[in-house]
Amino acid sequence: MAIINQATRELQVKIVYYGPAMGGKTTNLVQVHDHVQTAAGNKGKLVSLATSSDRTLFFDFLPIEAMTIRGFKTKFQLYTVPGQVIYNTTRQLVLRGVDGIVFVADSQFEKMPENVESFQNLIDNLHSLKLNLHEIPYVLQYNKRDLPNVAPTEYMEFLLNNREVQVPSFTATAHRCEGVFETLNMITRLLLHKFINQSVPQYA
Amino acid sequence: MATLPQLTEEDIQKLGETLREFNASADASVSLIIDKAGFLITHHGEAEEFDLTTIAALASGAFMANQTIAGLVSETTFNSTYQQGENYSLFVINADEHCMLVVIFKSQSGVGVVKYYATTAVKRIARQLKIARKRAPNEGLDLSMLNVADTQYFFRKKEKEPGNKKAP
Repeated sequence: MAIINQATRELQVKIVYYGPAMGGKTTNLVQVHDHVQTAAGNKGKLVSLATSSDRTLFFDFLPIEAMTIRGFKTKFQLYTVPGQVIYNTTRQLVLRGVDGIVFVADSQFEKMPENVESFQNLIDNLHSLKLNLHEIPYVLQYNKRDLPNVAPTEYMEFLLNNREVQVPSFTATAHRCEGVFETLNMITRLLLHKFINQSVPQYA
Repeated sequence: MATLPQLTEEDIQKLGETLREFNASADASVSLIIDKAGFLITHHGEAEEFDLTTIAALASGAFMANQTIAGLVSETTFNSTYQQGENYSLFVINADEHCMLVVIFKSQSGVGVVKYYATTAVKRIARQLKIARKRAPNEGLDLSMLNVADTQYFFRKKEKEPGNKKAP
C-alpha cells in the first residue's frame, strides 16, 4: 500500500495498468513518459521487461514525481502487467501493494470476450491477495477508439462498468496520447480522495 | 493484505544506523530497505551512482518471483538471492513479512561476509519494525488542504515545442 515517508517527506503511490494483451497498457506508459510535463529530474526512466518482440514479459515501470502537497513530494510508480493469459503469476506479483488500477480495455468488437475475461481475472487475482476491487480506486479506459471496428462505449459500459457503483471511464487513442492524461489524472484524484478520507494512512 | 507499520523519523534513523554499520562491516557500496510492493523505504551508501527507485522496483519483483518458484519446488521460501556481476554484485535477503534488504557490493568483495553481516542486519531491521508495529499509531498527514478537484495540476501534457526559426 502507499507509503508516506515522514523522514524524507515523500508520498509514494503504486498504480497498475491492467487489461487484455495488446490493449495498449505499455503505450499508455510510453505516452506519459514522452509527454508529461515535470520539473527536471522528476521523471524516472521507463523500464520495460519485454520479450524480443516487445511484448511485456514481467512489467513496465515508470516512476514520476508530481507536485508537492504541503511539503510532501508525491511519487507515483506506474506499472503495467503482461496481458497474455499465461503470465498470470506475474500479474499477481505486480498487483502486490497496489493503490490504484487503470483497466485498459481494447475497444475492438472482437476483443470484448478478452476484455471481460481480463476483468474477471483482475478480480480473481485481487482476491488471491486478499483484496477487493470495490475497496481499490480504479478507472476504465476504452482504448483504440481510432480503429474502424470499435464497439459503442455504451456497450462497453454495459460489459465492464455495470455495477452498483459505476467508476469513471474514458475513451482513448493511446498511441496519439488522447485520453492518456485524462485517465491518469482521474485515478490520481480518486487515490487522493481515498487518502484524505482514510483515518490512518500508512507511514514509513 | 499485510501492510507496513507506521514508522516515525526515529525509526527511519535507527534503520539508517543499521544500514550504516552494515555497509561498514560488509564493505557494501549501498544497501536499501525496500517493501515488497517495490517502494524504497530508506538506504545508505553511494546512492548517486545508482537509480535506487528502479532497483527497488526490480529487486522486489525478482525476489517475489523467486518466492513463487520456491513454492513450485516445494520450498517454503528462498530466504535470499544472490546475483554475481563483474563489477558489482547484488544480494537480497528477506527481513520480515513486509520488507527486504538489498545490498549492492563490489564483486571483488566476498559474498560470504555480506551474507554473514546481512543476517544480523535483517534481525535488527525486523526488530525495529516490530517496535513500530506495537506503537500506537496516532499521527497523520493532513491532506485536507489539497484540492483534489484540480488534479489536472498533477500531470500535465507538455505543450508542443515551437519549431526552431532559421537564422537570417
